[in-house]
Amino acid sequence: MEEIAGNELTIEKRDQAVLELADFDEVVRVYRPRILRFLLSSLTDRDAAETLTQECFLKAWNARAQFRGDSSLATWLTRIAVNLMRDHLRSRSLRFWHKTRGDSLDVMDISDWIPDGRSSPEDIALARQRVAELWKAVDDLSAHQRSVFVLRFVEEMELDQIAETLKMNLSTVKSHLYRALAVLRDRMGGKQ
Amino acid sequence: MKFRKEVNAEPQADSSREMRELAEAMSLYRSAMQHVAQKHAAAAWVSPERLAAESRKHARAHRMRLILVPALGAGLAAAVIAPVALHVHHEKAAIAVVAQPAPAQIVASVDDTELMNQIDSDLTQDVPDALAPLDDLSQQGSTNQSTENTNAHQK
Repeated sequence: MEEIAGNELTIEKRDQAVLELADFDEVVRVYRPRILRFLLSSLTDRDAAETLTQECFLKAWNARAQFRGDSSLATWLTRIAVNLMRDHLRSRSLRFWHKTRGDSLDVMDISDWIPDGRSSPEDIALARQRVAELWKAVDDLSAHQRSVFVLRFVEEMELDQIAETLKMNLSTVKSHLYRALAVLRDRMGGKQ
Repeated sequence: MKFRKEVNAEPQADSSREMRELAEAMSLYRSAMQHVAQKHAAAAWVSPERLAAESRKHARAHRMRLILVPALGAGLAAAVIAPVALHVHHEKAAIAVVAQPAPAQIVASVDDTELMNQIDSDLTQDVPDALAPLDDLSQQGSTNQSTENTNAHQK
């Protein structure tokens, strides 16, 4: 009985995801900031992130007929973005620019960002400095570590969702996350 | 024992402070990333529908280019090569026509001796009318001479 109820729920979820995809403008409106955020955090390159976000939704539009709702729309779109990012990172030209660019802090303009619960200029400046330090530390992570870290701590995805999105084992995801946190902790702790 | 606990508690406190600070930094980072993404999400955006149409148009144009370029190339090549080939053919024909007398001349020069011999024999054979009686006489003379010779033999 429980199994039947579970199956019905899955079918309902699938139908809902497929229905959600029918209004593509709404899909773009809801998920575009999320995909852009993921790509921006992962690539630390605004132009590339914007281009890949556009390409991600173009791919999704072209492949919308193949979407069966086996995963959530967010997971499906993030998986497309991850694949695009991998292709992009594999290209030699990008590796060259990434190497040449060096410090990418100027890419993320947070001069107009005011963190919640902070009103004094000192607090705001301190918060911005902390973000800049973490941004730099994240940039030093390997591609896998960065993807797992961003999906977990920026996109707030569950570990099994991350495993599904990145097509990795759960243990591999945990291992990447553990190493990423160790690196970040070391970098952030060392700066104090 | 109490001292030991205090010694162990210090690194633990450091560690938890570190973790707390890292967690706080990550929370700030998330907030900053959300802000940046929201800001850039408002930037110029082409709807996927339009982009897909453009992409299809571009792909079609590319396919057409793939077909048309070789076809045009072949046409152009035919347009250039055919007249050139024709011209070369005509030139060859003209050279052949101009060159034709040459073998004739060669033939003529080769046949010169034969022609001379022919003319010589004609001249020797064709006796002018004015000398015709002499020719008869010489024929007669030769006949007489042959008769005499026969007679002498018979004798």
